Amino acid sequence: MSSETKIETNPEKIGVYICYCGGNISDHVDVEAVRDRAEKIPGVSVARTNMFMCSDPGQELIMEDLRDGVVDRVVVASCAPSLHEMTFRSAIYRAGKNPYIYEHANIREHVSWVHHGEKATDKATLLVAAATAKAGLLKPLEPIRMEARRHATVIGGGVAGLRAAKDLADRGIDVVLIEKSPFLGGQTAQLDRIAPTGDRAADLISDLAGQVLQDDSIAVHTCASVEKFEGYVGNFKLGVKKQSAQTNAQQILAQLKPSGKKPGEFIPFAGLYPWPPPASDEKFSVETGVIVLATGFKSYAPYHGEYGYGELKEVITLPKLIRILAENNTAGSCLKIDGRNIRHLAMIHCVGSRKIPGVHPEDESGNLNEYCSRTCCSATLNTANIIRETYPETQVFEFYRDIRTYGRGQEELYEQASRNKVIFLRFEAQDSPEVSKNSDSDDFPLRVKVRDALTFGEDVEAPVDLVVLVTGMEPNNVSELVDMMKIPVGADRFLLEIHPKLRPVELSVAGILLAGTCQAPMDIGETCTGASAGAVKAAALLARGYVELDPFVAEVDLHTCNGTGACVEACLNEGALNLVEMKIDGKKVKRAQVAPAFCLGCGACVAVCPENAIDINGWTLKQYEAMVDMIVSDDVVA
Amino acid sequence: MITFVNPNFAKELERFGEDTASECFNCGTCAAICPLIYEHFPRRMIRYIQLGAKDRILENAQELWRCLHCGLCTQTCPREADPGEVILSLKRFVVDTWRRS
Repeated sequence: MSSETKIETNPEKIGVYICYCGGNISDHVDVEAVRDRAEKIPGVSVARTNMFMCSDPGQELIMEDLRDGVVDRVVVASCAPSLHEMTFRSAIYRAGKNPYIYEHANIREHVSWVHHGEKATDKATLLVAAATAKAGLLKPLEPIRMEARRHATVIGGGVAGLRAAKDLADRGIDVVLIEKSPFLGGQTAQLDRIAPTGDRAADLISDLAGQVLQDDSIAVHTCASVEKFEGYVGNFKLGVKKQSAQTNAQQILAQLKPSGKKPGEFIPFAGLYPWPPPASDEKFSVETGVIVLATGFKSYAPYHGEYGYGELKEVITLPKLIRILAENNTAGSCLKIDGRNIRHLAMIHCVGSRKIPGVHPEDESGNLNEYCSRTCCSATLNTANIIRETYPETQVFEFYRDIRTYGRGQEELYEQASRNKVIFLRFEAQDSPEVSKNSDSDDFPLRVKVRDALTFGEDVEAPVDLVVLVTGMEPNNVSELVDMMKIPVGADRFLLEIHPKLRPVELSVAGILLAGTCQAPMDIGETCTGASAGAVKAAALLARGYVELDPFVAEVDLHTCNGTGACVEACLNEGALNLVEMKIDGKKVKRAQVAPAFCLGCGACVAVCPENAIDINGWTLKQYEAMVDMIVSDDVVA
Repeated sequence: MITFVNPNFAKELERFGEDTASECFNCGTCAAICPLIYEHFPRRMIRYIQLGAKDRILENAQELWRCLHCGLCTQTCPREADPGEVILSLKRFVVDTWRRS
């Protein structure tokens, strides 16, 4: 891998393989014409076509040429490299050759899908020609192999974090679980009976957290947060701070006394309280191989005046109502809150969710939650059913935009609500209900007025005793972790996976995985699915004892480098480039040195080196120049 | 004009026949299949029952007597809310209210 490595084989044997993509390419590109032209490019020894180059026969074509020694560099012209670059690299590997002697030309997305006729054929030819120019200068590379520590760290002690920690431990991996609060169970602890099964949140958390606490290979740290982060997949180092959290601890102890609860028990609407916070602040570091982020969500807090929230005391949120219902001991056929009979109760859906630019105002920070929070419809119907079945004298009105009860057993909640004679009123986004004080003589304190789409746009007014705002989910603020770990965040502020369908729990930072609602609104079942998936991906990374990183990193030519240090200054990832002392020709000099595991392969160093002494493997300046020369050459498309 | 929600009306109506209006999820199949009357019949009437909009029912009561009880709405209702039977109940309710007024 050093710069002195000569290209071991004669680079004049480039194989070009052009794909029809079953018409996707060949309907607009004259593939045979591209082949004829490619064959004439200097260095190309064979040019072949196939209906589907990614098919087994297509791949076999390439492998056979490699095995026969007909070619020693491969160019495939087909779809986007994100789709099949790996396919062809692994075909080369299976033919017993180095997979990095490969270059990909995208003549589908970049050509046939956007150009037509002769021009399409010409552009395809140029892209193929450029790829062959680069291929001639490719050298075999080896992936960077780093030893991986068989240890995982889970950040967040809610259901996602607990599930991931337990799954990793079951796989034989030591786990550190870091939870910010003194409790385990996260936002699930803010619930009571969970839809659609009717399970108690307390039981679910006690069960799962109990398993985690009893597992010797999981070290649980409450009142702890990650302060420092360094390293790379397989070898991360985290600085953790445990806070004594004096005030918090006192509150909890005060809460514990009257309830007779002791550490180790579940405290309703707080979580499982394993042990008191530490007496004083502590700091320690964790060396770990993978990190699972399970930082969760928080419930949307309505702004002052949103549907009267904060102005009218009879306007509360759904989490608040759930807590009131759970703690309410008053018997009777009508729900009573603070001594007041709740005869009519209005629930307004989609508060803080599904907002539309131009229709709804942004919050102070300019955020607008355009996403659906997904779980609130079921939670609302579940609560409405509990109320109607426990307090038949309390009537429930639901003001909704759409009812989205996806998932097994959840549409049934809607039917159950219909049977329970819950009254549904539907509004369009631009016609949100209005909540106001009731000035009429009847004794209902509030009125909810809405243009009801189900009554053909007639104005309908409901006199009510209580308005419940069905608040959605927002991601917890983890900006410190995001900055430290350089994690991508979506426009919705949830953490962003690599690919929503094919790689749903991986982040673009290798070795950091997603679990649960830090990624998107999810219910508890989906959260566990995501957490288990994250745990499996984490375990898979550690299973071999080492990790392999792509070799597309910077490399210094020690003969040209004269130690200006410009590259070190330009480097975007601290630790990737250093000036070190070394002996060259008997003289002590300072030279740039790359730490491959830290290098992002961005090329910032290449741009600033006055001596052209640094390059990115697989993307060298010479390779770029050769590609550009080919594109501007008049010979290829003659 | 504003319609007021009155959830107690459902109870009042029980006396006049089977109360299945709350089963309705406002799909409009009944109004589409009704061969006689346009203007969202019988869907709108059933919606008024759900809301307890008694005044609106009485204002539009003449619509009820254009219904011939062919039964197509009841046959096609996906929620088995039995619109035909509900219309009959409404007729009884209206007649009763007229007698008293």
